[in-house]
Amino acid sequence: MIASFSPNVVSFAIVLFCMLHSLIGAPAVATENGKLKIIALAPHIVELLYDIEAQDQIIATSTFADYPREAKNIPRVGDHSRLQIEKIIQLQPDIILAWQGGSPADDLERLKAYGLRIEYSAPKQLVDVAADLRWLGKLVDKQTKANQLAEDYLARLKSVETRYAQKQKISTFFEVWSSPLQTVSANAWPNQQLALCGAQNIFADLPQDYPSVSLEQVLTNKPKIIIQPRTKAGTHHTGFAWSKYGFIPAVEHEFLLHPDSDKVYRMTRRMIDELESLCAQIDVARKYYDHSK
Amino acid sequence: MNNKVRLSIILLAILSPVLGLFFGAADLSISSIIQCVTQQCQQPINDVILWEVRLPRVAVGFLVGAGLAVAGATLQNVYHNGLADPYLFGVVSGAGLGASIATILFGSSSVLSQQALSMFPDITFSVALPAAAFLGAFFAVIIVQLLATNLFANRTEQLLLAGVAVSFMLSAASHFLLYSAEPFAANKVIFWLLGSLARAEMWFVWVMLPIVSISVFVLWLFGRHLDAMLLGDDNAKTLGVKVEALRLLVLMICAALTACIVAYCGGIGFVGLMIPHIVRKWVGVKTRDLLIGCVLIGGSFLIWVDVLARSLLDNQEIPIGIITSAIGSLFFIFALRQVRP
Repeated sequence: MIASFSPNVVSFAIVLFCMLHSLIGAPAVATENGKLKIIALAPHIVELLYDIEAQDQIIATSTFADYPREAKNIPRVGDHSRLQIEKIIQLQPDIILAWQGGSPADDLERLKAYGLRIEYSAPKQLVDVAADLRWLGKLVDKQTKANQLAEDYLARLKSVETRYAQKQKISTFFEVWSSPLQTVSANAWPNQQLALCGAQNIFADLPQDYPSVSLEQVLTNKPKIIIQPRTKAGTHHTGFAWSKYGFIPAVEHEFLLHPDSDKVYRMTRRMIDELESLCAQIDVARKYYDHSK
Repeated sequence: MNNKVRLSIILLAILSPVLGLFFGAADLSISSIIQCVTQQCQQPINDVILWEVRLPRVAVGFLVGAGLAVAGATLQNVYHNGLADPYLFGVVSGAGLGASIATILFGSSSVLSQQALSMFPDITFSVALPAAAFLGAFFAVIIVQLLATNLFANRTEQLLLAGVAVSFMLSAASHFLLYSAEPFAANKVIFWLLGSLARAEMWFVWVMLPIVSISVFVLWLFGRHLDAMLLGDDNAKTLGVKVEALRLLVLMICAALTACIVAYCGGIGFVGLMIPHIVRKWVGVKTRDLLIGCVLIGGSFLIWVDVLARSLLDNQEIPIGIITSAIGSLFFIFALRQVRP
């Protein structure tokens, strides 16, 4: 069966490959209405495109793009583990915006081999959200809006940094996951947020970004604040039950903070809202402990 | 094998790949596919979807199903054990270890990965992963065979137990590596181990086709000797069969076949275990009939499982290993129920 197909398929494939290249291998130029057709393969990219009012150019996205609410209506073409190659080719995007390290590299390599243009968002530092905004603004020709949002974001970030830079450090445990207990360290996105708020992450010295730690380590460090991000949409929370460890200052004085996990973990402008709120709550705890000395 | 069964199996093996082309994530109408096959596609994009994405996937599905079923059937016969399966020799765990190393070195954003990429700029993740997985799978089989030969005097039960032990050992190593790596690395390897034909490209068909064909042909040539082994080792020896040498040859062929499949498609469990049992019921236990039956039915089975994998959910693919394991486990529960005293 396959053998009888093969000679035709080989010659056909060569011809088709050339045709495909002529069709989609051309550099991405403005298409319909002078706008690029975009497939955005990460929730944060979708969110940033909405921010700069380029949402009408998104023709497809990945499974977990859920903000703003209208983004849920965008057609899906896969998730962080696998892309629907056929569907993406059929959609004929002018550009695919992927997340470096967060989108499936092998599928993207294959799409690139088909001549599709792929560009990556790779935010590592908090300031990179502004860089991503500017990059997207340039891509979709919305520089003015993007630059304005980027400036605003950076100003708010700077403001938080200035406000808490001289504050006394307060020992904090950040719980990413409860079983096993997983926290943040090194260059992890939330660890940078903690540093900005003047919180002293009790596991800041570990080399991994998201290390697993033991309960004993947390108990012996006696953090004054425990941060357990929660999704606001979900009703079922899987956070560690700290209440039975009343000797931990954070539990004794009820400084268990629950920021919105979508805002904390996603590299978007919404992060700064949650960061301001989180820093303020940490500051309340700081003042409480100062007064109770 | 009577003519009716033979005709049904051949028909199934012809129809499955053809019908498999009509299913996929892209919305291609039946008429447009027929037009693409008979004349020329209306849109060039349909050409690409059908011939460069869907056809390789169907072809790879057939070859993978055929290869796994043949390996399973042969191992079950030569080890006189209905539970023998290529995966019992640590192939998946070995491939998993290789995949973990490749992911950490070539597929993450860690410092180590950046160093590896700067040292080997020409090696992409999509090449490093199957290559490392293949080496890992073969490494596992070699360890199992060495243990069996040097420590257990080639006793079948010990060989299977050695396979289980090596599986756990290699799994522990890969779990430790993933535990130490960035979270996305674990994610990638776990999804890879669940198995998928989504990466299938035509070049893989050209790699797989000779491997599967030559393996089946060599096993087919030794068909009569393998049949003799069904009578037991002692009887086979009196008939002039070099039992130990033949068993080693069969193991190496099955290991190469499975390692090649696992390296590219991840862990697709239960096919090698389940299909031979079904085929035996239809065509009997004679090796040559069994091999041909496994090629045709195993290949067709995996094409249809892959159709389910890519069509069941609208916007996502289900890893194929989940479906084969689900079907396989149910099959075994019912099969066991039938043989209870």
